[in-house]
Amino acid sequence: MDIEGIELLDVSKKYKNARAANAALSNVNLTILPGQYVGITGVNGSGKSTLVRLLNGLIQPGRGKVYVDGLDTSNPGHLPLIRRLVGVVFQNPDNQLLSPLVEEEIAFGLENLDLPLQEISRRIEWALQLVGLEAMKHHSPNLLSGGQKQKVALAAVLAMKPKYLVLDEPTSMLDTISRKELLDQLKTLHGEGMTIILSSHNPEDLVQADRIIVIDQGSIHLQGAPWEVYRQEAELAAIGLEPPGLYMLLSHLTRNEYSIDGGIKTTAELVQYICSRL
Amino acid sequence: MVGIKLGQYVQGDSLLHSLDPRTKIICCALMVLGVLINPDWHLLIFYLLTTALAMKISGMDWHFASRSLRSIRYLLLITFAFQAVLTPGNPVFELGLLSVTREGLRLGSINLARLLILYFVSMVLLRTTSPFKLSAGIEALFLPLSKLKIPIHDFITILSISFRFIPTLIDQAVVIKNAQQSRGAQFDAPKLGIRLKSYLAILIPLFETSLSRAGDIGEAMDSRCYTGRPNQLRISRLHMKPLDLAIIVFLLLGSALGTFISLMG
Repeated sequence: MDIEGIELLDVSKKYKNARAANAALSNVNLTILPGQYVGITGVNGSGKSTLVRLLNGLIQPGRGKVYVDGLDTSNPGHLPLIRRLVGVVFQNPDNQLLSPLVEEEIAFGLENLDLPLQEISRRIEWALQLVGLEAMKHHSPNLLSGGQKQKVALAAVLAMKPKYLVLDEPTSMLDTISRKELLDQLKTLHGEGMTIILSSHNPEDLVQADRIIVIDQGSIHLQGAPWEVYRQEAELAAIGLEPPGLYMLLSHLTRNEYSIDGGIKTTAELVQYICSRL
Repeated sequence: MVGIKLGQYVQGDSLLHSLDPRTKIICCALMVLGVLINPDWHLLIFYLLTTALAMKISGMDWHFASRSLRSIRYLLLITFAFQAVLTPGNPVFELGLLSVTREGLRLGSINLARLLILYFVSMVLLRTTSPFKLSAGIEALFLPLSKLKIPIHDFITILSISFRFIPTLIDQAVVIKNAQQSRGAQFDAPKLGIRLKSYLAILIPLFETSLSRAGDIGEAMDSRCYTGRPNQLRISRLHMKPLDLAIIVFLLLGSALGTFISLMG
């Protein structure tokens, strides 16, 4: 594969201790192009985290291939470059912050990239400013709130300037305000051209994505624009998911013969749309 | 578990807090070596006085220091009693079949002093040096060993991550303890067996979560291209001042003098 982007070709993955029938992923084909905002959703155990871990070579597919900008993740020689290209933020910030100081946490990845000290310092300032945590530079991660820890984890990955930002359930341990702040931050980053791949069991988190992929029992069950995916209420209900409230409302309106523009992503946009029609 | 004090850094602006961590590590290592190699009274008195001075300068609360001794009181007592009773020599007094000898009391006192020095010196080091500075100091001191292909960066990374995760593990242990307590575990039961069983109910899930956490940490490190390179940022923040050198020289001279006197004596 010579094109830019991430491509999964007929990927299957089964863990050694799993029962024969339960593959974590089976026959997944997927292409993510640069600049896209892709949401991955599914119930717990559906295979989201396995998919995320395949994207930067943390685990290898049992069958099939994963390519990042043409680099095969099963080739150990490609892994350093693949991990520079694909930055991953994990679910639990407590398990990914490794250093005794916030500043050092950001520096961890940069030191591994063998950057000069000046560049490391510059990127630390830049990344902390981006997430609004400049004042916490010399604090211990132990003293931060869950939301602040997740921001530090995000800053640590962003400082490495990855081409693809992958987030595995980053909102699951956050309160409402921190969750909103993180999602706003992702929207901004996407607006600046970054490729975002966000995994969440909460479909509400993914409304700002360009494309949503619904995974069920290791296979891609549905995919498309949020509007297309979330209006399939029965399909989603069958696999234990519920569309976000906004999309349920849009769906009800459509069913009652009110034609609504499919590009609406937020409640504010819906209100504005309805007001313009009155 | 919330009350664990050993190894807990206490913020402060004392002279000891402001010293380069390498100075404190070198001094600490010198005293530990001196105490282990040359158990002579002259040297021990010098170290005891130096330790007391360091505790005073660091602003350590004497009540805290004496209270903290409670955790090792049995070790101190047993050490002293065994030496006093088991060392042959001139009996001072007799307790039934056991006789306490003059030589035993002397050896017991020396070993007691050695333990106290080791305990308080490490306490001063850990209470006046943040984990961040401690890791930086150790990394800077051991950096030359990496030229001998010793994986010093990996070792420092392990150490640094351990420092980072001690509070997290303590928090986790408290959560598990509360959960087990709410389900009937008796941590203050009069019977030792019941108490042990209750604590086992903390240890097993704690061990399990620690293993799972270790896996996550490994993935987080791999994701951020971990290669075991030296921590330039950390080391670049260290600066030895003339006072640091003066303190090292003072301790070296004191140790040499104490050793010389003991050899002459």
